[in-house]
This record gives sequence, C-alpha cells and structure tokens, in this order.
Amino acid sequence: MNSALPTSAQWAALMPILFPALAAAVIPLALLDRDAGVQKWIRAGVYAVALFALGASFMFLAELGKQSSQPSYQQLRLDYLAQFTGIFIVVAAALAVLQSWDHFHQEGWVKGETISLLLFSVSGMMVFASTTNLLVLFLGLELFSIPLYALTATLRSRSSSSEGGLKYFITGAVAAACFLMGIVILYGLTGTLDISVMRLQAGTPLADPLFIVGIGLLLVGFLFKVSAVPFHQWTPDVYVASPHPIAGFMSVATKGVAIVALIRAFPGLTAWGPVLGPKVQGVFMLVAVLTLVVANLTALVQTSAKRMLAYSSISHAGYLVLGLVAGTPGALTGMLFYLAIYLAMNMGAFGLFTAFGLVGEKDTYEDLRGLGWKHPLMGLCAALILFSLAGVPPLGGFYGKYMIFKELVATGHVNLAILGVLASLVSMGYYLRFIVALFLQAPTQAQEREATEAPVIQASLARGTVLVGAILVVAGGFMQTVLVDGFAHRAIQGLLGLR
Amino acid sequence: MPSPNAVLIISFLLFSTGVAGILIRRNALVILMCAELMLNAANLNFIAFARHSGSVGGQAFALMVMGFAAAEVAVGLAIVVALYRRKATVQVDDINLLKG
Repeated sequence: MNSALPTSAQWAALMPILFPALAAAVIPLALLDRDAGVQKWIRAGVYAVALFALGASFMFLAELGKQSSQPSYQQLRLDYLAQFTGIFIVVAAALAVLQSWDHFHQEGWVKGETISLLLFSVSGMMVFASTTNLLVLFLGLELFSIPLYALTATLRSRSSSSEGGLKYFITGAVAAACFLMGIVILYGLTGTLDISVMRLQAGTPLADPLFIVGIGLLLVGFLFKVSAVPFHQWTPDVYVASPHPIAGFMSVATKGVAIVALIRAFPGLTAWGPVLGPKVQGVFMLVAVLTLVVANLTALVQTSAKRMLAYSSISHAGYLVLGLVAGTPGALTGMLFYLAIYLAMNMGAFGLFTAFGLVGEKDTYEDLRGLGWKHPLMGLCAALILFSLAGVPPLGGFYGKYMIFKELVATGHVNLAILGVLASLVSMGYYLRFIVALFLQAPTQAQEREATEAPVIQASLARGTVLVGAILVVAGGFMQTVLVDGFAHRAIQGLLGLR
Repeated sequence: MPSPNAVLIISFLLFSTGVAGILIRRNALVILMCAELMLNAANLNFIAFARHSGSVGGQAFALMVMGFAAAEVAVGLAIVVALYRRKATVQVDDINLLKG
C-alpha cells in the first residue's frame, strides 16, 4: 500500500514528535557505562540531550505556528490545536526536566532512564493530541501512560513509591481497557475508526443503546486521565508517591492532553447531534459538579501539602470540564488559556517542594513552616502562584476561570457559574493554609536544628522554574490578550472550521 | 463463523470476568492477568467486527493491542517485582502505606 517515505511536508508533521522520541531512544544506550567517574558526566549529558530535544521540538512547533502551516501525515494532523498542545507539553516537560535535576540529586537517585521515560511520554502525548483516529489515539494513550506508570515507581528505594506505581498501573490499565472497549463498540456500530466521521453518523445508530454505552466507556477513559470525580481516587496517592517534578508533570501534561482530546472529540454540543449532544452535556455537568464539590471539600482537610495540591489539581479539572458544559468557542478558548496558566501554576507549585529542598515524605504543612522567610524570593513566588490557583483577580488563574464562567452565564448555566465561584472561595481556604505555613508559622526547634545541620540545598534550577512559573502567572493576568488572540483563539477556530 | 452477537456476548462475559477479578482478587499478579483479560475481550470484538464488516482496520487494531498489552504487562510486572523486593508480598491488602 503506502510504503513510500514521507515527503518533506509530511516530515514536518512528524518532526516535533520524533525529536523527543529519538532522544529517549538514545539516552539508555549512553547509560551502559558503569564507571562512576564517567557516569557523572554522562548524566549531565543526558539532561543536556533531553533539553536539546525538547528545545528543538519547541522551535519547530513555533516555526510552524509562525508560517501558519498545518502539516499532516496519514492520521497525524498537526493543526493549530495540536501545535498549541505540543508547545504546552514541551514547556511542561522542560520545566520537569530542570526540576528533576535538582530533585533527584537531593534524593541521591539520579538515573538517566527517568529522563528517557519522560521523553517517551512527551512524544506519546503529542500523538494523543494530534489525531482523531481512535487507533492512533489509543496508541498515543498507551505510549504516554506506560512510561508514567514506571516514572511513578521510579524511586525504587522507597516502598511507597512502588506502591503508588502499582496503584496507578492497575487503575490505568482498567481505564485503558474500558477506553478500548468503547472504541470497539463504536467501531462495530459505525464501521469506522475516525471519531470525526463517527460524529457525522451519530444521527443514525442512535436508536442503539450500545452506541451510548460505547460513548460512555470512551468518556471513562478520558475522564480518568483528566482525573475528574468519580475517576479520581488514584490521583492523590500517585502524586504523593511520585517524585515532585514527575507529579507536577503528570498533573499538568496528562490533564492537559486529555482535555484537548476531549475538546477534539466533543467540540461543542451540536457536534454529536440533537439527541446525543444533550446527554453528553448532562454527563459533563454531573462530573463537573461532583468534581468541584468533592475535590474542594477533601482538599480542605488534608495535612500533607502535596496531597492538597493533588486534590487542587482534581478541582481544576472540574473548572475545565465546566468549559465543556458551556461548549461555545469562547469557552473552549478559555479552557486553552486556563490550561496554559495552569501549566505555570502547577509546575511552579510542585516545583516549590524541590526549591525548598523537601525530599522524601517531607511534604506536610509542618515541613513548610517559616520557609517563606528563609527564601524570600521563593516565598513571594509561592504566594503569587497560590493566589493565582485560588483565582485572585489580577493574576492569570482568575482570567482563566473568568472566561469559562462568563460563557457559562451566557449559555444559561448561571447555577453552575455560581457553584464555580463558591468552589473558588472554598479553595482559598486551603491555599491560604499553605501561605500561612510559609510565612506566619515559625519553624519548630527541631526543624531549626535540622536546618543548621543539613547541607546547603542545591536547587537553583528548580528555583528558576518556580520563578518562571510565577512570572507567567503574573503575565497571564496582565497580557492575556497575547496568548488568547495569538494561540488559543486560532486553535479553536481552526478546529471548529470557523475560519 | 459465529454471529457477531454471539461474539459480543462472549466478549462481555470475558470483560466482566476481568472487572470482577480486579475488584475481588487480592493478588497483584492475578489482578494483572484480569487486566489482560479485559484487553483481550475487546480484541475478540475487534476481530469479529472486522470479519463481519469486511474491513481490515479492526484486525490491525487487534494486532496492535496485543503489542500494547505486552508493553503494559512488562512495566506492570517490573513494578510488582520492585514491590516484592521491598515488602516480600504481592497481596495488595498488605500494601497500604498510602491512604486512598
């Protein structure tokens, strides 16, 4: 059949995915050397190669965006939405790589495989976000999930880490199997694997309740990756068990690509016809309400700050799903903007743990006492990031929520918008607790003693990433038009075929 | 060639066996097997539907899923082995450091 090599235009669609994949394949080869002296340099080289591959991918995507070209290769379509998502993933991964250099040195567990797995995951996410064919979608899903299972369990010296990995693996495998079952049912009923073609046929096989079962199973797979209630139980355990940078990457990138895939599969309410559309909207509404209520209330009672951040990431999934309920182009654009700000906020928030040099199980509010005064710049960044997560007005997080709530009101879902605002108010409670621990609580004597005895924390790279996150959060508040008009708007317009 | 409906029923039975196994059994290795059972239930459907509709897409999918399943179980088993080395057990009830 089609065995010819891709043409240069087709290569353009493959390049951003190939850079990280190639780097990921090369890195393990470099790790074969056992000599300790050489290994130190190899490790530095591994991180450099990873950053280089991510940078190359970023430059390529930025260039594509500038030339406003949308190359495609077979089932992969690198349209504006995929380019936006690609840049989103690459930036998240680069921040995670920088943080993990510091974090793994603090833990004393620097392994190149970690970076290799992370890069495989990046290329899987790009595949996942740039296709409507369910076969390729499933390939992308597995390609980014399987490395993440291993990444969760990467600190083999700690049993909680392996336990988190096992939990993530079992729940993830079940979700993937449900997703696959959904695909096979839809394939059997429509005879096609392309979800955009399937949508056109949605009017005819509707009488079949199996069709609804298929869509439902598909949604289970997506919502699991988004970690929306009731498919959220894995999230806190897995984030707590994984290394801080990996937890940040998972919370940002996995959720981000799953939301983008949802936007692609369910763009607006009319896309699935007059019968199925409202049903899907009803599911989204239920999920969003449950997520906002359960996640925010559970986050309030956590004693571990990292667990709190995990529940906070679930609650942010709720706000994003609210955007799908509204389903207007404005709401979808708002969701993309929200995702971009969420990237800065969450990579920053999880990066704080590394920046403060908190390793191992030290992730409770108690461990954070007084750290804001000890590291004033990081304290300021922490305050900015946490206020933005809570949605305090001049910061980026506020505008993300504002864009979604505005469209909710415009489409007549005033109740949901009010619930969203109330949820943000509740969330203020647990974010403030983080800030109070940083600034208003003096460290205990034992902590003071420990701090004087401990070696100086080396975390300049992680601090840099937190600073970048804080700057992006502030920039998102004052210059959001650049991001919205420049990227998000174009991505959604291109997807919906409005232009 | 049995009718697609018969295959559908068998595959749903397999799928439910897998789900039930994951919920009931406490041995991590059996849970792994049950997850594979769920994937294979979907595989069976793919082949039946592809035969029925005469398109090759489904059969290609089934082949790829076998590859995914192998990759998945490799990582899963590695995690179970890592855990076994630390805790000397594969019973999930004994593995309870995390709260959820």
